[in-house]
Amino acid sequence: MNRQAFIDRLRLGLSGLPPKAIAEAVADYETHFTEGLAAGRTEEEVAEALGDPARLARELRAETGLKRWEEERNPTSAAGAIFAVLGLGAIDILILLPILMTVAGTLFGLIVAAIAIFVGGGVVFAAGPFLNPPGGAAVALLGGIGLMAAAASLGAILTLCVIGLVNALVWYGRLHYRLLKPAMEPKS
Amino acid sequence: MVEAVQVQLKKGVLELCVLALLSQHDSYAYEIASRLAEGIDMGEGTIYPLMRRMQGDGLVDTYLVESPAGPPRKYYKLTEAGVESFSAQKAEWAAFSRAVEAILGDAA
Repeated sequence: MNRQAFIDRLRLGLSGLPPKAIAEAVADYETHFTEGLAAGRTEEEVAEALGDPARLARELRAETGLKRWEEERNPTSAAGAIFAVLGLGAIDILILLPILMTVAGTLFGLIVAAIAIFVGGGVVFAAGPFLNPPGGAAVALLGGIGLMAAAASLGAILTLCVIGLVNALVWYGRLHYRLLKPAMEPKS
Repeated sequence: MVEAVQVQLKKGVLELCVLALLSQHDSYAYEIASRLAEGIDMGEGTIYPLMRRMQGDGLVDTYLVESPAGPPRKYYKLTEAGVESFSAQKAEWAAFSRAVEAILGDAA
């Protein structure tokens, strides 16, 4: 593999990342080639010593994804972090997946329930006073507000749970990334 | 089996080695990669994701220096947090390797 082929495969692996991140990574490896050539090595030797560009791209991509999640907590960055971890090819994630699906499914169910309670509370609040409820209109108003408040606090707790879950995943991914996944391919 | 153990061992100490090299003098990625490649036989490309992560973790800082070989070189230097992390990890490593040595010695 020559310099151009290495850089092309790296770019391919990094596609989809912010252009700035790609440019920085490419510049790093271009510099490495320049230094290597100046030291009297051939492009093929430098590429060989660098290792598989697709693998390096996956590492860089994972690092970028995890960092974004740490900087901004939002659904997009959560999804990015999870996919980046999956992209590392951590096989144990397959073992983890059923557990994860169960937890995620339960959380999702609870979130839907919270939304339903909130909407229900709204209906009671708005429509209740006109339906001659037992105890009078004030009870319906207060009951409706109570239901909405309960749903909001349930929602807040669930949000914390989701953030905790994604954090745990990131921690797990990092553990893999740092210690377990042999990112250094031994030179054969 | 032996190969897998080696790869895992190397991966675990890579950051420690980079901290150690930088604690001697500031350096640029190509030099760090060559030193590590000849010392512990690792893929040179791994150094870039690692340096990026260490910079993100605030262990190292960069500055540019004119180079005779072409464009300016990005030099890495340890931050205060990096120096602290190095001494902590070094002590941890020393204790760990003493323990392993002791067990290996008993078995020999």
